[in-house]
Amino acid sequence: MKPFDIVVVGGGGAGLYAAMEAMKTNPSLNIAVLSKVYPNRSHTSAAQGGANAALANKAKDDTVEMHVFDTIKGSDYLADQDAAEVLCSEAPKIIRELDNIGTPWSRMDDNTIAQRPFGGAGRPRCCYCADKTGHTILQTLYEQCLRKGVFFFNEYFVLSLSVDDSRMKGLIAMNMRTGKIEAFRARTVIFATGGYAKMYWNRSSNAAGNSGDGQAIAYRAGIPLKDMEFVQFHPTGLRKSGLLVTEGARGEGGYLINIKGERFMNRYAPEKMELGPRDLVSRSIETEILEGRGFDSPAGQYINLDLTHLGADLIKSRLPQIREMSMYFEGVDPIEEPIPIRPTAHYSMGGIDTDIYGRTPMDGVYAAGEAACVSVHGANRLGGNSLLEILVFGRIAGHTAAEEAGRFDPGEISRQELEASEHELREFMKPSGHYERYGALREELGQTLAVNVGIFREAPKIEKGIADVRELKERFRHVRVFDTSDVFNTNLIQVLELQNMLDLAETVALGAYAREESRGSHTRTDFPKRDDENWHKHTLCTWENGKAVLGEKPVTMGKYELQERTY
Amino acid sequence: MGEHKEEMRDVTFRVLRFNPQVDNKPYFDDYTIPVEKGITVLRALNYIKEHVDPTVSFRAFCQAGICGSCGMRINGISKLGCTTQVWDELEKCKVPNVIKVEPLRNMPHIKDLIVDMDPMVEKMKKYSNWVESTMPESRMGEKEFLIAEEEFQEYDKATDCILCASCMSECSILRANKEYVAPAILLKSHRMNVDSRDGSHDRRMSELVKDHGVWDCTHCYRCQETCVKSIPIMDAIHGIREDAMVTRGAKDTSGARHAEAFMEDIAKKGKLVEATLPIRTNGIGWTLKNLLPMAFKMVMKRRTPPPPPFVKSSKGIKKFREEFSEMSGRVKGEQKDHKK
Repeated sequence: MKPFDIVVVGGGGAGLYAAMEAMKTNPSLNIAVLSKVYPNRSHTSAAQGGANAALANKAKDDTVEMHVFDTIKGSDYLADQDAAEVLCSEAPKIIRELDNIGTPWSRMDDNTIAQRPFGGAGRPRCCYCADKTGHTILQTLYEQCLRKGVFFFNEYFVLSLSVDDSRMKGLIAMNMRTGKIEAFRARTVIFATGGYAKMYWNRSSNAAGNSGDGQAIAYRAGIPLKDMEFVQFHPTGLRKSGLLVTEGARGEGGYLINIKGERFMNRYAPEKMELGPRDLVSRSIETEILEGRGFDSPAGQYINLDLTHLGADLIKSRLPQIREMSMYFEGVDPIEEPIPIRPTAHYSMGGIDTDIYGRTPMDGVYAAGEAACVSVHGANRLGGNSLLEILVFGRIAGHTAAEEAGRFDPGEISRQELEASEHELREFMKPSGHYERYGALREELGQTLAVNVGIFREAPKIEKGIADVRELKERFRHVRVFDTSDVFNTNLIQVLELQNMLDLAETVALGAYAREESRGSHTRTDFPKRDDENWHKHTLCTWENGKAVLGEKPVTMGKYELQERTY
Repeated sequence: MGEHKEEMRDVTFRVLRFNPQVDNKPYFDDYTIPVEKGITVLRALNYIKEHVDPTVSFRAFCQAGICGSCGMRINGISKLGCTTQVWDELEKCKVPNVIKVEPLRNMPHIKDLIVDMDPMVEKMKKYSNWVESTMPESRMGEKEFLIAEEEFQEYDKATDCILCASCMSECSILRANKEYVAPAILLKSHRMNVDSRDGSHDRRMSELVKDHGVWDCTHCYRCQETCVKSIPIMDAIHGIREDAMVTRGAKDTSGARHAEAFMEDIAKKGKLVEATLPIRTNGIGWTLKNLLPMAFKMVMKRRTPPPPPFVKSSKGIKKFREEFSEMSGRVKGEQKDHKK
């Protein structure tokens, strides 16, 4: 196959925007998008709430500076300030651009794009399409990519980055339809594969495939991962499934109620109440539950999210999906009863280390979106900033790759490399006496992470977590794939995803162990204070000869000084 | 908390299996597993894959009813596995306690419950299922379009579509003709047509009124009945037709003439005048050339069609029309008030 100028891995919001922008930057380039699902299935579709931008449609005094400050404060000062500046100043432009190409943003009475309040934001600046924002953005981008004739390789699972002496030559991927291992020679590669929070398995709101494939592939190729310990727990996951109830439900005025009937957020964030930042609200709920003020049920303890006072009309018009989900998955109609919720692993702030142009430390390799860590979210992401990030930095990465593709020559990917890959996969299918069930490992991984590297962390627990993950990695070597067919072998795919999650889980636990402070989503009960003197820095995790090695990187500061973070 | 325990029972899932590498044709495998009340069909399939048979293949991703991956036929009806409760399906089983799970129809079969979605994507491209913005690319991002509530309402519901292809699987036309545009594509096409930001209505319409396009639909309403997001797909189909006839003057297609002939007959007589329908739809030349030989052949095979009946006007049709138009005028007025 002819070498590609750009291969985008992942067809969600970041990947599609990157492809679209790259085509716009240089229409003569040969661009491909590889995705393990049809792009319109990507997890971007599940983002309900919206995307922040200081359009000042709703609050006339909103400014980009205020958005920057909210983002930096929300990040607990771990965000790089230059990155946050880029994010927020590009925001209005990108929202309007999406409007220009067909995104059905909800409107206000004056026909401008509607905005609503969101957690941790000083002004109502979250632009939305009812509670299907991510879905409609993804559809729009997919439509435009089809219009522009982007070349899609749907249902391809990327196995590895082909690298010679730290020079990237392209990708090795499996065509899921045929089982064939194929080489994709490329001048540049953009990873836009989404997050890794599914490693918390049943305690995660993520799609089944959010296994951090891109991060794991980059990591094993020697590219450092940044701030992996920061995993955001969304305050309101459905009790039984971990599926998400959007922050929009609180933005529209929902209350959090404990068993005593109290709106307990007045103890934790008296000013912002339910609209405090996510990490704080999650900890508050968890504390209520731990201190015995939660509700009991066979499916675990929970807290109520009460929308009944909002009335049927508002719930039906603004939160239709939430109502549907509550009914499908909890058997509760939020018009009549409160929704049982508890925090759920939702978003990975950490990811592939990139600069503000989307470049990773390896030449020709870029990353964007949840797969990357620029970092704009630092220790805690604000609601409405993730959709924004995938759009802004997806676009930037696409632009950078298009500009720089000419600098790199695609190397040859040898037959031996492909054969080695194939051999590795076949090994999983070999019958042997003792074998492990991948389903069991996956569940155990989620369990140990939720308990030991969850919302509240401390040294002995994390040590246990690290030991558990390493033991699971050992046991993984005996996992057996029973489906030996070539065509659409989902058994094999799930095992490969588990492998990626296991490799990343170790970096999460190691980061959590090293960081002896509490910052944003990372709460160490044995180090309850933020420690700017020793820990105002990013952690880096690099794979060296099969071992995870921790390093660090300074935070880029700007005009905002370190302050205590209160709401 | 023992007394809170959810109801459990053993349920059999009869899953269609097919591996093109070894099987000549599809067959069914039965899996009987313990199921708790409140579990979805997708979770049951996950359980089967993890605990009973890892080779059962199906697509699944978000598991929350928004990505559209897990479209499949459950007890004969196309829907999403992840939003379908096992307990609800138990009431619909043909064989008691056996839930039948099959792949979507009308798309090429790949393996077990997996079908090829490429034909859908190809049709999205063929019918320009995108907004081709009236804003020049160089000026994008500078300002937003102002969009009134009335316009937004026109396509709001259509943007709920998650392309799960359930409607395509149930579509009776697609079953007969794989080239047919398909309901989801018509829905999306109409959503683009009524969007004031789009500048390619005419090109899209010219494709939609061609063969295999909007006029092939026979109003069976299966798409709308099956839509997992309860989108009124038929409204979009009618919308495109109206659009084609009224505003874009695309009356010169057999589909449009056929519809007009229906309208005319019902308005005048309250009944269809079938005898002259082919002539009015396709013209005298076409009718003589295509239908006369067929009629002749039928006569030769002693399958003589009965002579077309003479159609008399129904009694009171004029009065009924008047009352009906007054009523529909009132309903439309009320709808408008309600939207405000």
